Amino acid sequence: MSTIEHDEAAIVIIGSGAGGGTLAYELTAKGLPVVVLEAGPYLRNEDYVNDEWEAFNQMAWLDPRTTSGSWRIARDFPNLPAWIVKAVGGTTTHWSGATPRFKAHEFAARSTYGRIDGANLLDWPITLAELAPYYDKAEIAMGSTHVHGRKPLPANNNYTVFANGAERLGYKFYSTGPYATNAEEYDGRPASIQDGFNFQGDKNKSKWSTLVREIPRAEATGLLDLRPDSHAVQITHDASGRADAVLYLDKDGNLQRQAARLVAVAANSIETPRLLLQSASPMFPDGLANSSGQVGRNYMRHTTGSVYARFNDPVRMHRGETMAGVIADESRHDPDRGFAGGYFLETISLGPAFLASFSDPGAWGRGFTEILEAYANTAGLWIVGEDLPQESNRVTLNTTLSDKNGLPVPNVHFDDHANDIAMREHGYAQAELLYEAVGSVGAQRTPPYPSTHNMGTSRMSARSEDGVVDKWGRAHDVPNLFISDGSVFTTSAAANPTLTIVALAIRQAEYIADQLKTGGI
Amino acid sequence: MAFPAKYPQMNATELTDEARRVLIRVIRVAFPHPSFPDAPYERTADTILREAESSTWFRVALTQGLITLSHLAGGDFRTLNDEDGTKVLRRIETTEFFGFIRRTTVLNLYDNEDVWKILGYEGPSFDKGGYINRGFNDLDWLPEARIESYDGPEQLIEVATSASVAKIRGGENTPATERDTSNQPGKRDATMMEMTK
Ligand SMILES: Cc1cc2nc3c(=O)[nH]c(=O)nc-3n(C[C@H](O)[C@H](O)[C@H](O)COP(=O)(O)OP(=O)(O)OC[C@H]3O[C@@H](n4cnc5c(N)ncnc54)[C@H](O)[C@@H]3O)c2cc1C
Repeated sequence: MSTIEHDEAAIVIIGSGAGGGTLAYELTAKGLPVVVLEAGPYLRNEDYVNDEWEAFNQMAWLDPRTTSGSWRIARDFPNLPAWIVKAVGGTTTHWSGATPRFKAHEFAARSTYGRIDGANLLDWPITLAELAPYYDKAEIAMGSTHVHGRKPLPANNNYTVFANGAERLGYKFYSTGPYATNAEEYDGRPASIQDGFNFQGDKNKSKWSTLVREIPRAEATGLLDLRPDSHAVQITHDASGRADAVLYLDKDGNLQRQAARLVAVAANSIETPRLLLQSASPMFPDGLANSSGQVGRNYMRHTTGSVYARFNDPVRMHRGETMAGVIADESRHDPDRGFAGGYFLETISLGPAFLASFSDPGAWGRGFTEILEAYANTAGLWIVGEDLPQESNRVTLNTTLSDKNGLPVPNVHFDDHANDIAMREHGYAQAELLYEAVGSVGAQRTPPYPSTHNMGTSRMSARSEDGVVDKWGRAHDVPNLFISDGSVFTTSAAANPTLTIVALAIRQAEYIADQLKTGGI
Repeated sequence: MAFPAKYPQMNATELTDEARRVLIRVIRVAFPHPSFPDAPYERTADTILREAESSTWFRVALTQGLITLSHLAGGDFRTLNDEDGTKVLRRIETTEFFGFIRRTTVLNLYDNEDVWKILGYEGPSFDKGGYINRGFNDLDWLPEARIESYDGPEQLIEVATSASVAKIRGGENTPATERDTSNQPGKRDATMMEMTK
């Protein structure tokens, strides 16, 4: 691993997850040295534990956050708006692996859906055709099943219930993927052993994460200076308004300064806007790169919900890949259903500890214990669909509460849009029909978990008045500042976000390398 | 919580052995699992007591709450059957006392092997080689399902041809030529400190 001097103006990437880890690898592979600042520790696959709460406490981002708004999370998990990992590899360590692509019209949500009250819709400044080659690269990097010659994963028990229900309901577009976990050995990593602990970090390394692929490869180039336990607290700029350094706290809480010629922020959609807001200065009084006022706004988390259905016979949903099952039939845009945009249905499974905490927060008594009593006979699925950007759904700094470093904590405000509610209700109803079709004897509608998909707080826009970054993820206001994570999503689309984050980061790396060469940055 | 002053024992803040036994009963009534033996409930009660010891606020709430419960039960909560016990708990379910018990129980009762076995959950599996050879696909009451992508004649229609925007809540039809691609409402404020909308 290389060491870059603190006063050497370096390429500095903040965050080592899907976006940051990918960007770090792509740039080092092109011969560019980079510093990666990662707030969390450097844990390896061997350190992961097959235990829901232990794994969560080992790796989740538990620094204080606050919530407001009418979303149920604010009531049930007021200090846990999101499930995000704080460790090298970011949330790709806990993610499950579903990798659908966006559809063409989802890059043009405003034009396709029209004006919708309360929604701050905008078309992306890029099209599917522009991103398609990078989707290919991302799928190949991540080893997505079902595409580029990768074998599908086998059916596990939860999938067998899900797919039979789908078939009986008349759905056609179901399968065990695309899913970025090896069905057979690929890319130097083994096939899945179906251990059922995707959400806890995959000890077997069959699941793609930047921890198993991009970080070690970037290290192998000798050009990566990876600094774990390094929490960025401010991006500073020079008199011309160009970013010139990143201030961060090291493991011992000491403030360090890394000089920078280019800064790429990939801290996930809550910490990214928090860092920009914390970087306010006399020249950027509303936060760095925030002349549009859109930093922190349009926070999206996907329209989600789960249904856990009970059967007379055993399912044992905990055995096997958690989310290797996707139905795409409802992912279309068809306003006849009463809402804009679409959603996927994907298999999901929780152990008793998480099912107790998340299946019906606040509940107790026999209705609640029935859910747990039926554990072995339960099948589960997750609804994941497009949610509409709203200006008032927003990450701000909560100046009344500070973290252990004395920094204001982020507040996440969220209200569901009527469209989100209509979509969720439709998803619940379809899921129940699906399970009834294969003999369910009861079902639990589970509200959204703390958000695992976080998007939109520094959105891409063609015009600088409408968003924070341009079509390359480059800040409209600061020429050498890039955003490289899901914060740049102009709209959320229905698809799980990570494939798109990785595709955008690969594309951004090409652009950065090219611009550095030609003096465009 | 406000308590009538006529009960002098309300001032008690120490948890007695009897209090522990009432607590165990409260947890069983609130989270009834006929298949669970006493041990998981006792373990959960002890976790609650340990947490209460480390917080004066919880200790006070718990001690006083358990005493109040006896009054609501007309004596000893433990003498109530499941149904009557549940009714009493419903009356106090919004109290800090019950909230503390409920939260701690949900987080702890189900986070232990002793109940996993009973519920049919098998715990850590990596060390046993996962489930690849241990029944990840042993479901036998439904036919085998297709795992490959659909390759029949139908295409997923991504945008319904009937798509009329007017049907979307708050939506309206705009001729394509007149569309602007943003619906940014008016002037934006940039108050970053604002907490609510
Ligand atoms: C349980 C679960 C299941 C999921 N399943 C799927 C799925 O099936 N498909 C899918 O597409 N997505 C899934 N996701 C979502 C996926 O993990 C995220 O979309 C993705 O990891 C986001 O990438 P990112 O680069 O934006 O952020 P992350 O991967 O979260 O990385 C951000 C990194 O930045 C670091 N950081 C933050 N602030 C700072 C700072 N100030 N200084 C230094 N470092 C900082 C964090 O510690 C973190 O390591 C899942 C998520 C979870 C939790």
